[in-house]
Amino acid sequence: MPSNKKTMIILSGVGIAMLGLGFASDPLYDTFCRVTGYGGTPKIADANLTEIIDRVVTVEFDSNVAQDLPWKFRPDQRRMDVKLGQSGLAYYTVENTGDEAVVGVANFNVMPIKAAPFFIKTDCFCFEETVIQPGEKLNLPVIFFIDPQMDEDARLEEIKSVTLSYTFFPTEAGTMPPQMTATATN
Amino acid sequence: MVALPGENTPAEPSSYDDDGKPGFFARWFYSTNHKDIGTLYLIFGIISGLIGGFLSFMMRMELADPGIQFFTNEHQYLVYVSMHGLIMIFFMVMPALIGGFGNWFVPIMVGAPDMAFPRMNNLSFWLLPTALICLLISFVVPGNANGNGFGGSWVMYPPLSTTGHPGPAFDFIIIGLLAEGFSSIFGAINFITTILNMRAPGMTLHKMPLFAWSVLVTAFLLLLALPVLAAALFMLFTDRIAGGTGFFDPARGGDPQMFQHLFWFFGHPEVYIMILPAFGIVSHIVSTFSKKPIFGYLGMAYAMVAIGVVGFVVWAHHMYTVGMDVDLKAYFLAATLVIAVPTGVKIFSWLATMWGGSIRFTIPMQWALAFIFLFVVGGVTGVMLANAGVDAYLHDTYYVVAHFHYVLSMGAVFGIFAGFYYWFGKMFGVMYNKWLAAAHFWLFFIGVNVIFFPQHFLGLNGMPRRYVDYPEEFAIWNAVSSYGAWITLAGVAFFFLMLIEALILNRKRVGDNYWGEGATTLEWTLSSPPPYHQFNTLPRIEDNAEH
Ligand code: HEM
Ligand SMILES: [Cu+2]
Repeated sequence: MPSNKKTMIILSGVGIAMLGLGFASDPLYDTFCRVTGYGGTPKIADANLTEIIDRVVTVEFDSNVAQDLPWKFRPDQRRMDVKLGQSGLAYYTVENTGDEAVVGVANFNVMPIKAAPFFIKTDCFCFEETVIQPGEKLNLPVIFFIDPQMDEDARLEEIKSVTLSYTFFPTEAGTMPPQMTATATN
Repeated sequence: MVALPGENTPAEPSSYDDDGKPGFFARWFYSTNHKDIGTLYLIFGIISGLIGGFLSFMMRMELADPGIQFFTNEHQYLVYVSMHGLIMIFFMVMPALIGGFGNWFVPIMVGAPDMAFPRMNNLSFWLLPTALICLLISFVVPGNANGNGFGGSWVMYPPLSTTGHPGPAFDFIIIGLLAEGFSSIFGAINFITTILNMRAPGMTLHKMPLFAWSVLVTAFLLLLALPVLAAALFMLFTDRIAGGTGFFDPARGGDPQMFQHLFWFFGHPEVYIMILPAFGIVSHIVSTFSKKPIFGYLGMAYAMVAIGVVGFVVWAHHMYTVGMDVDLKAYFLAATLVIAVPTGVKIFSWLATMWGGSIRFTIPMQWALAFIFLFVVGGVTGVMLANAGVDAYLHDTYYVVAHFHYVLSMGAVFGIFAGFYYWFGKMFGVMYNKWLAAAHFWLFFIGVNVIFFPQHFLGLNGMPRRYVDYPEEFAIWNAVSSYGAWITLAGVAFFFLMLIEALILNRKRVGDNYWGEGATTLEWTLSSPPPYHQFNTLPRIEDNAEH
């Protein structure tokens, strides 16, 4: 019969392992989302090297600002039609209505979620921190394309439009987390 | 006088009274005796139940009519909602079922003299009052701009629990829950070690009574789930510190949804932590009062194991509305429905045990039968909610509130009362008054049904949960629900009358096995109450012994 002490040590090990797993879930979850585009995290690439095919998808643009950020943030175009594989260039306008310079970062998301793995950005203002002086207005570009491989997936046959959404959050200069400036994943 | 079933009053007071027990202070504060600690847990559960019950009564009074009558603002109401949930789950149901009955009867049932680590047992208990005090402090310290306390519900989702409550109120809750969590983890290690290593000769796992099985599975769930909650709480804690981490803060690359995954990875096993020990208790009661061994004993034991295992892979059925991929929803839907299978095995085995048995409708049997009936109602609404499409409509409505109260305040709580009346004589050596106990049962049974059944209608009609006010169209069923709170309150009053009558006024002694034939587990071979130290020579369990 095993001694009580030995059993206790094994069980404590199990408890500590679960605690570790709880903490480890943070990096695991981030990596998982970024690699798979899961949960609407769009992918990032250095350049668009794909072929253009004939299927057209409407990209809709959405914008949000965190409660405590005195900014006005609007897409310049509500929607845009692109062919799969064709690069699109869209602009957003952001204005600081407060009386202090503020640093912001934009977080992004693509709906429907299943389309996110095919929505690829080659350049985006969301890769960097944005500093706006009081009263200043900026034009922010984003360059993207939709991977033609989307056409091969039967589950995505009915996709006629996707929504690209941004939310601006206040931040402190130089504290932008590395995963948001992530480099190419494909 | 009405004779109690199987009554055999002892000629002289039991040996409990001359056992070299330590003095009052040493006995109750330095307690290492599993029965004394069990009693402490039960008293603690009753006190927490009163606090949590008071909070819910105030909520029902507020909701009796449209408009805001008692609370100063929405925030204060939400503080009551949040504290009610946290206190009932962590400080009433868990201490009563696991700490209370688990400590009292698991060592006796497996034929052990005490728990494996008696001093750790003492630590487990005393962490709890400490934790409860932290929660009560949180009531009176600033939460956010709207007032004191934390109003982010028992699920504690960020950003409401981070930037939404910058005050110290939520920090006290984190500290309290961490203390509670470690108390439960230590308790779990203690139970598992006791059950695995300290069974009497001949008591194989496959002969072990079902209550001990239920506590074994529960202890594993605690050991695997609570550390994840602890990690999530710790991350919330560091996220809350100015300039701290950003695990759940999208502005700093975190994701608030990750907290929901962590919380429900703990949260769904947690709901089984609260119900499995009640399953165990009900099995004993149904078998005793049908005078038959439990039908399909092994199936019953392994159904609990199956529920425990599958319970770890269904958590996102609480998160269907976060915008999940449809395939993932389909997976969580199917996995959730799978749990209904072992649950059904348990229900049918209880029915089959009663089938053809000579049933006695004693007070504990009434609670146990009500448990089975009400748990099935709650299980059926659970299966409805498990359908992702249906849940998109019902999520965060009163339908969900009705569902989890049918499985909790009627499932788990009825299990607690069933066990309390079943073992009352065994634990305290005296018998309760049948009429007071019956009044308690019937008022409570009618009361909770009047409270919660109408909430199904409210939810189906779209009334959202967690609001202090509601439109006129929901007035009628809310009024009915609040009347139910009065009936339940009357039931609780009879519970205390019953306690006073039995423990102070009457003190009618009972014998070793006052339920007679049918009560076959080891606790019935000991005096009532059992000697301070039992099994100085270990009992031997024969090969042909029943479970
Ligand atoms: C057949 C078994 C069960 C099924 C299929 C089931 C299913 C569900 C589902 C799908 C939800 C989420 C509803 C929503 O938020 O929209 C839910 C909520 C809940 N269930 Fe169950 N359930 C079952 C048994 C239980 C048991 C046994 C308990 C506890 C003893 C329980 C306690 C809860 C609680 C507390 C919630 C609400 C959590 C919250 O949002 O605050 N359930 N259940
Ligand atoms: Cu669940």
